[in-house]
Amino acid sequence: MTSRPVRDDHEPVTTNGTIALVNLSAQIDSLATQGQRADSTTLFAVAQQAVLVDLLALRGHLLGRVADYEHAAQLAERLVCEAPGDSIALLARARTRATLHRFAEAMTDLDAAGRAGAAQATLDGERAAILQAVGCYAEAQLLLRKAAPHQSDFTMLSALAVLQAERHETAEAEQVFGEARRSYRGVSPFPLAQLDFRRGVMWMREGDLPAARAWFEAARRRVPGYAPATGHLAEVDLLLGDPEAAVAHLRPLVETSDDPEYSSHLALVLRVAGRYQEAQQWRDRAAERYDELVLRHPEAYADHAADFWLMVGSNVDRGIQLALQTLVMRQTTRSYALVQRARAASNQPAHHTP
Amino acid sequence: MADHFSGPRILFDPASDITDIFAFPSPDRPGRLVIVLDAFPAAAPTALFSDAITYRLRVRPVAQAAEGAAFTVGGTEYAFDFTFAVPGQVPGSDEPVQIGTCTAPNGEHVLFRVGDETPTEAEGLRIFAGPRLDPFFINLTGVLATDATEKLAFQPDAVNTLQGMNVLSIVIEVDTQAVFGPDSSPLFGVVGETVTSGGRPVRLERMGRPEIKNVVLASKKFDPVNSDIEIRDLYNEEDAFAVRQDYAGAYRARFNANLAFFDRLDGEAVWPPDDQGTHPLTELLLADFLVVDVSKPFSEDSCFEIETALLAGREHATCGGRAPNDDIVDTIYTLLVNGIDGPRISDGVDSATRPATHQFPYLAAPNPTPPDLMTVFAALSAPPEPGAEA
Repeated sequence: MTSRPVRDDHEPVTTNGTIALVNLSAQIDSLATQGQRADSTTLFAVAQQAVLVDLLALRGHLLGRVADYEHAAQLAERLVCEAPGDSIALLARARTRATLHRFAEAMTDLDAAGRAGAAQATLDGERAAILQAVGCYAEAQLLLRKAAPHQSDFTMLSALAVLQAERHETAEAEQVFGEARRSYRGVSPFPLAQLDFRRGVMWMREGDLPAARAWFEAARRRVPGYAPATGHLAEVDLLLGDPEAAVAHLRPLVETSDDPEYSSHLALVLRVAGRYQEAQQWRDRAAERYDELVLRHPEAYADHAADFWLMVGSNVDRGIQLALQTLVMRQTTRSYALVQRARAASNQPAHHTP
Repeated sequence: MADHFSGPRILFDPASDITDIFAFPSPDRPGRLVIVLDAFPAAAPTALFSDAITYRLRVRPVAQAAEGAAFTVGGTEYAFDFTFAVPGQVPGSDEPVQIGTCTAPNGEHVLFRVGDETPTEAEGLRIFAGPRLDPFFINLTGVLATDATEKLAFQPDAVNTLQGMNVLSIVIEVDTQAVFGPDSSPLFGVVGETVTSGGRPVRLERMGRPEIKNVVLASKKFDPVNSDIEIRDLYNEEDAFAVRQDYAGAYRARFNANLAFFDRLDGEAVWPPDDQGTHPLTELLLADFLVVDVSKPFSEDSCFEIETALLAGREHATCGGRAPNDDIVDTIYTLLVNGIDGPRISDGVDSATRPATHQFPYLAAPNPTPPDLMTVFAALSAPPEPGAEA
């Protein structure tokens, strides 16, 4: 295991992350939709609403805001109701459904978008992302190759790098991550921050914590407050034996994000730091929020909630139940591993908070 | 819309999206050239200039070509580069303040504060940057309906689609004698660009004449050569003063096809193509820069006048260029559909709700509560049936 320094000869200049986030919100505000409307079916209005859906999903990812994902999903549902034969509307809904892990429905939308005239390369790219998410790597790669000539170099190389990372082809992925970075031509910091984040995830999975840490830091330098990168950075710091640093990363996140992942992590690191009473407050907050989200979006949150109940939540039965629910919805390697972990935990004495 | 949302790539980078370029002699200080670059369509009050972009205004002397309806472009270029810092706090204020720098053609740096209503003065220059009311006005419903029905579909007393919206503006007033030199030509070509800062510069957007991308080039349905290409993203990458020859054929094909469509709109052809199928306006419009004559007095209805005079083989009578209150949608439809001296076509929106002023920085103050775009776009009614002609 060798740590790789975050260094690249070509360091793209992008808009300051704070400016970009302010402008992203300004753009969302200017596109903000109003209530129920039945007359937004003109071509231009559909296109603008689809942009709004994508911008909300982007902000949801960057800031860890489930509310933005939900808003995007609602808008996309309404858009398809108003313009059921419009490929742009169907593509937008497919993306929001995929974000909330409703993969089968997303695929159905992509089929419908194809019948409504969406470009094959676009459909291939979207389908590849879904297939990758459910672990069908070979099929995803095939579609990525088909879509490649029609995509920008950055889009194509980023998708390929992430796919190789998930297949544990780290040497090849490292090279393609670098190529993707060098091919970037825009000034928005978001695509690069996302790329750096995924590179960090790869090294975290491979157990190279210093490399992972460096890429998560790079993503955060690009976009301050980037929630997934910050959350993972806290995990890495905890694994590297620095729970106080992890607490410092997570504190601002639990204030700005409504994703229970971060309050759950904060509870965990506070426990490790011996601050049990404080930990309990965040554990309770996470438990309440996971219950809400599992009810509303089981496909997206059942597995995270299972993880939570098996660890910080200290309710193995609930963890097993959710792990099995996940397996019913998705028979992926991760789902099987989750069930295995749940079963192992049930054979051990339950965790108790002091 | 003049250049708002001009291409799919720009949609996710609003700070680089140029909405309009204006170039006109100053109404209150004759002999000075005013250039305005507007960016960030439908900017919410919190919108900021990007610190990774150079907002560039390029000026070159131009002259009538010896042959044909075209301009020759001089080799000397006067460029004004505007860059912006990350906003910082000013003592005694809660609001973050963004500082900008203008790099003049002589390399001098002029610092200014974004949103400062007092113009920043430097040797031969006056500068403003900040949010302003979008001066552009258009009946977008009618434009979309015209494209959909292939008939002129403008209605009188239509509503300005951009009413109440804001943009981020950069305004510069240049003493051409002092900055360009005493012997500089009075006739200039002007373009605005957004270019990546740092490293190898990449052109993100550029604009010369209004509505070239969104009205003339956008439609793919008539293009017999590249009907599947979103040509506006490519066109945005071009140097307006020297289009890449690799792509010039694609642009010409789109211009020829779409200009012929406009000429057919009233059922009467006024622009017969040559035996190669080339539309008489193609070469002129492909060289996409505003042409302004600073020796002429300020005028608010002179956009395209220098070009049309050239086509008609007469001397131009006005400053040309483009002023914020110029009704260019009417002008361009009239030129494309009815020819040089044809009857005026109206899109039904003849002025901005709050017209631009004749004092620096010329554009009206921003609307503190701009409408959201969805309200505007959702209100765009379905295209009327063919037959609802202007």
